[in-house]
Amino acid sequence: MTLSLRPRVSKAPPGGTPGISTRRRVRTYPGERALRNTVIIIVAGSLLLLTAYPIGLAFVGSFHYWNPLNGAFDFVGLENYTTLLSSPDFWGSMIRTGFFSAVVIFFRVALGLAIAVAIFSQLTRGKAFFRTIFYMPTVTPLVAVAYVWQMMYNPQTGAINTFLGLDLNWLYDPQLALPSIMAMTIWKDFGYAVILFLAGLHSVPEDALEAASVDGAGAWQRFWRITFPLLAPMTVFVVITSIISYLQAFVQVLVLTKGGPGTATQLISYLIYDKAFVKYDFGYASAAAFVLLIVTALLTLISFRLSVGRKNSLEG
Amino acid sequence: MRTRIASGLLTAVLAILGLATVFPFVWMVLSAFKSNKEINAPEQTFLPASWTLENFLAIEEKFDFIRLFGNSVFLAVVITAIAIYTSALAGFVIAKYQFRGRGLLFGFTVGTMMIPWAVTIIPRYTMFVDAGLQDNYLSLIIPAAISGFGIFMMRQNMHAVPDEVLEAARIDGASEIRIFHRIVLPMSVNSIAALAIFQFLWVWDDYLWPYLMISDNANQVLAVGLTTFAGQYGTDYGGLFAATTISVLPVIVVYILFQRRFVAGVASAAVK
Repeated sequence: MTLSLRPRVSKAPPGGTPGISTRRRVRTYPGERALRNTVIIIVAGSLLLLTAYPIGLAFVGSFHYWNPLNGAFDFVGLENYTTLLSSPDFWGSMIRTGFFSAVVIFFRVALGLAIAVAIFSQLTRGKAFFRTIFYMPTVTPLVAVAYVWQMMYNPQTGAINTFLGLDLNWLYDPQLALPSIMAMTIWKDFGYAVILFLAGLHSVPEDALEAASVDGAGAWQRFWRITFPLLAPMTVFVVITSIISYLQAFVQVLVLTKGGPGTATQLISYLIYDKAFVKYDFGYASAAAFVLLIVTALLTLISFRLSVGRKNSLEG
Repeated sequence: MRTRIASGLLTAVLAILGLATVFPFVWMVLSAFKSNKEINAPEQTFLPASWTLENFLAIEEKFDFIRLFGNSVFLAVVITAIAIYTSALAGFVIAKYQFRGRGLLFGFTVGTMMIPWAVTIIPRYTMFVDAGLQDNYLSLIIPAAISGFGIFMMRQNMHAVPDEVLEAARIDGASEIRIFHRIVLPMSVNSIAALAIFQFLWVWDDYLWPYLMISDNANQVLAVGLTTFAGQYGTDYGGLFAATTISVLPVIVVYILFQRRFVAGVASAAVK
């Protein structure tokens, strides 16, 4: 089991001169060229028009005072970036987003792994049933379930206070609001990790576990010495996809708290939304979005590098 | 004996966690059948004291939910069909043909998954407004027609289609596009099922982009309709429960119908 994000390109020598092809070229099938060119045009065209060009425009726009309401697009140099980087609001949102992502990813992975191992265990009855249940929140629409949670958190009529006998003002208490959104997000997303870890567990070779068992390794040791290292690529996959999606978490904040109370739940993507489509300061919002893009790219790259290094050391 | 106790204990723990997982859904559906008086009463019961349809009837009267529901179904079906077809085709071509720039094309496609929506949504907004596509469903269909995730997932799954099978079809004289339709697509059903649910859900769930593009209330999608409804009738909890139930239940039904294939497809995208 390997995590491959890259197609297996035929083995051309590294740094080989383009043009002088050293690889054996298989013949082109009739109709292949037309099909291939159609795909290249559609995919490359969409990449250029809907991704590359917008990124370029956002980059240029981040150096402008850009307001679509009055049509302004005036060059201001680095002003958006200097305002941004000296704004406590921006830094607060970044730190909050980091905290939010770290906690949610930890619970998503821990809960996902624990439940997957439990479902996988020979002792468990009704595996398919549990799998269906735990995955259900993941396939339901976030906007709708966020409203359900908002009503569950209602201090007077909500299910949480009523059935647990508590009297907490979940979404309006600055200390509790962000953890409340985290809890909802963990509930919504842990099932994805369950399904992926279950798939990973199915590919752990049984004879390795049996051999360890014969050698006297207990269940706990077998898990940490054999199963867990073999699940590492799956864990990396879950962590990387989670980093990317939680750094841009937005809808749950919009529905549950609108960033409040105060700025207690203002995550970076909500801040960008607010600057762009409530205040129509497109330039400032683009600058903030670019910082987010750089942070996302760096964190993804670091997790990827760490995992590759780890894998090499395991194999070496 | 010991294993039987352990088995019972483990199943019980999972059952408790499972109950906690489905609780919000059950509570939502049951509350949708309670009157607002009952929902706001100081004494709460789990089951409705008296079952009523008034919430569903009232939201339909205040707010054209059936219409919005229809809009969302239409868009979700159209976009899902287009995105699955383009993803499967691109996945097939990238996995099975060798051509210069293949790695680059795939690399950039996968790379798009990493880009936060916040970066592209502002320029896309100005682009689509300038192109006069506001209040036109094309503005919702075009950006979703090619999916980086979809292409990634379909390419990962092309190992389910052995080269020998393709070769055999070629020897029989089948054209490449026919091979794609008759062999590749049917052999990719698990991945297609998984991608279908994801894609359907993304369209169903997309909030900000339709909110920016569609201003005509009659053509709005359900996700935006929900927030508008909550904004206007924020204290009508019964109505909101009914509205969220209408929004959540269809997806759960589709999921339960396809879940076996779906789980196989999701897993095979990540394990290879």
